Amino acid sequence: MLTKINSSMKKLLFSILCASPSLLFAQGSQVNLQSPKAVGMGGAGSAYFIDEASIFYSPGALAKMDHNAISVAGNAVMYKSAFQEVGSTVVYHTKNQVTPPFSVFAAVGPKNSWWKAGIGVYTPYGGAVDWGREWIGKFSLVSLSLRAIFIQPTLSIKLTDNFSIGGGFVYNIGTVDLENSVPVFYPDGRAGLATLKGTGTGTGYNVGIHYNLDDDFALSLSYRSKVVTKLKDGDAIFEVPAAVAGNFPAGNTFSAELPLPSTFAAGIAFPISEKLKMAVDATVIDYDIYKELKFDYKENTPVLQDTRSPKNYTKAGSIKAGLEYIASDKLQLRVGGGYIATPVSRDYVYPETPDNNRYLLSGGFTVKPSPKFDITASFAYQRIVARQATNLDSHLSGTYKTNIYAPGIGVSYKW
Amino acid sequence: MKKNKLYIAAALALLAIASCKPSLDEYTPSAGSLDFSKYVAIGNSLTAGYADGGLYLEGQKVAYPNLIAEQMKEVGGGEFHVPYFSEAQANGSGYITLTGLVNGQPVTAQVTDKLAYRSTSPKLLTKYTDPINNLGVPGMRMDMAEIPGMGSVNGNMYFERLLPDQDYLKTYFTYSTTQNHTFFSFALGNNDALGWATNGGVVKINPITNQPDPTTVLTETARFTLTLNKYITELTKGGQKGVLATIPDVTATPYFTTVTKAALLAAVNAAGGSFQDVYIRTKNGVRKANDRDYFILTLSSAGIFGKNGYGLFQAIPVDDMWVLDESEVLQVQKRIGEFNAAIKAAAASKGLAVADVHAFLNNVKDGVRINGLAVSAKFITGNAFSLDGIHLTPIGNALMANIFINAINSTYGSKIPLVDVSQYRGVKMPDTAPVAN
Repeated sequence: MLTKINSSMKKLLFSILCASPSLLFAQGSQVNLQSPKAVGMGGAGSAYFIDEASIFYSPGALAKMDHNAISVAGNAVMYKSAFQEVGSTVVYHTKNQVTPPFSVFAAVGPKNSWWKAGIGVYTPYGGAVDWGREWIGKFSLVSLSLRAIFIQPTLSIKLTDNFSIGGGFVYNIGTVDLENSVPVFYPDGRAGLATLKGTGTGTGYNVGIHYNLDDDFALSLSYRSKVVTKLKDGDAIFEVPAAVAGNFPAGNTFSAELPLPSTFAAGIAFPISEKLKMAVDATVIDYDIYKELKFDYKENTPVLQDTRSPKNYTKAGSIKAGLEYIASDKLQLRVGGGYIATPVSRDYVYPETPDNNRYLLSGGFTVKPSPKFDITASFAYQRIVARQATNLDSHLSGTYKTNIYAPGIGVSYKW
Repeated sequence: MKKNKLYIAAALALLAIASCKPSLDEYTPSAGSLDFSKYVAIGNSLTAGYADGGLYLEGQKVAYPNLIAEQMKEVGGGEFHVPYFSEAQANGSGYITLTGLVNGQPVTAQVTDKLAYRSTSPKLLTKYTDPINNLGVPGMRMDMAEIPGMGSVNGNMYFERLLPDQDYLKTYFTYSTTQNHTFFSFALGNNDALGWATNGGVVKINPITNQPDPTTVLTETARFTLTLNKYITELTKGGQKGVLATIPDVTATPYFTTVTKAALLAAVNAAGGSFQDVYIRTKNGVRKANDRDYFILTLSSAGIFGKNGYGLFQAIPVDDMWVLDESEVLQVQKRIGEFNAAIKAAAASKGLAVADVHAFLNNVKDGVRINGLAVSAKFITGNAFSLDGIHLTPIGNALMANIFINAINSTYGSKIPLVDVSQYRGVKMPDTAPVAN
């Protein structure tokens, strides 16, 4: 039985490794909000928490769960950007919009066994930004909504009492909905509008190991592969004056490739006192695979050519730390913070992700009305440092400043 | 229970934070040492807001001096009065609109309602004699600025419109230098080169008087410089500051670059011909056209090319007035170069700002991206030039306003905020289906 599973697991891992995953997505957009417990600690805790959310954070830890559990969590992310053109007094703000990253994790297996299986459905990348049709950069971007939903079946195996490994296959369903103004003008002076909508899929994997020395000191290493999402036959809809509609064929489609980068994450957890625990996580993200965003239209006309926006992202990473105070069996309080280095260089700042280095502050708590049931709340605040940039492609030149607020809540049930 | 209340309070506090928008305050406008309380704009059709082959209310509203004046209001600028046509006469002189595309070619029509004429022969417009700041007069030239009678019923109808009847002998020079300004922009001189160039480098002869039509003469540099220097001395007499615009290259406008030899031949050959050459009449005789000869935009709309072989045979060449041939192009470019040197020297002598429109439009010629908006000197699709191929669209005016503002700011250390170009339009496209025939 054991050998059988081991061999099929190996096969699975092998086939994943050989699949040379290829799928992509635009970024600045990693949203690490998979578990409100980790969010409360600044996003740290991959080594610390051993629960169903380990499917994402540390697949190797899953086998150490001594129970079965299912959890559901959701967030309300408010991404608020402002832009001021160089030399102008006018400040533009993104419209109020809430994006709802969510996650569902379930882990099952025999009690006190050497294995645990699970499935996670979560949204590691995504975001929505809507600058409106009147702002200065409308020919660059009016609005963008991106979402990547990852579905990840996972298996984790305890090799020794202290050491376990795990891995999962990732299937991504990505959607993109992008609007920008087209510089052809109606008799009333209004500009045209292009809408690109599409869905794509991609595959990848998530593997990890977890090690703990006694109960309180733990280490986690995990690697989440890149997931290149290929969008095919997306709808390219152009709203333009009828006289020039011939240049923007009806029923046109586009294809594009969005690379979601791979992430290497390491975490440690250790006690400070009986009731106070600390976790530190660091990540290195290979954003440098995101070189350009290309929209390839099925039908080109002299006016409608394929577009190619250079992105030239660089590798980036983050460091996060958090504390958990175990007030009682029924209440835990958390606080955390972090620093996230941007992958976006100054010449390639786009209004879709006006990124810069970020500071993160968060807090949260869990209450357990019963041993089987807990409710966790979290709040994360990210401040993207103000940045003056001139985009090499659009020549849009100005200062961006962004705050992100993300209250979240989750419930989990154990048995 | 008490704890729960605490949590609820905490949650509400967090939500309150979440409603905060990031704030930016990166630019503090300032006039520096300048006084914008009475800004006047001296110039020609571009200054007046002429577009689409006419002066009409919508074009007047977005004339670049008006856009500059609006921005100056943030740094102590006063009211900026413009001789607007009334709503009832909003179409002013009349202008052309795009009514459709036939086989991809633009079809235009003349707007003939709501005009502002008080007389049709001679053509005279409804008077506007209230005090104004935008002194732009379409057709005004450096070599006409000091000629009395330009504002009479026999002169320039746009100037005549602005003068009280008894002042008909007032020169544009006197009129524009006696407005008690505190700051000025000066953009006169385009027509001194363009009037000749747009007529294919031909001086029109009045058939009745047998005299040259003064609007088609290429002004001598000495004449130009004399009036220019006199102007600048007069305008800065009270220590006022200002900005001078250079004159664009003719080959930077779609009026000269749209109708090419290749386009003419393609049109004729599409109808079943197989012609290789276009013949043109130059001042040195008839010859084959080359790619350095510039046909004017109206040759296309005149619908004469190819008719009965016109322009396709050595015996019936395209007439001189339809083409600015290679040597004429060089001649006008040289003259514009001299004018611009004089403008820059005049500015330098008084420490004034120069809005280098010449350099800017040469840059736009090949296409630039401004805030993600592609702008070029291409006819209609380039979005900078209006349907007459010479004058600007609202987008073009907004870009022009920023050239002036940048020049003022960099010369005087003022901080006039820039115009948001994205709020303006290019050429209006009809929202009716195209026709093929």
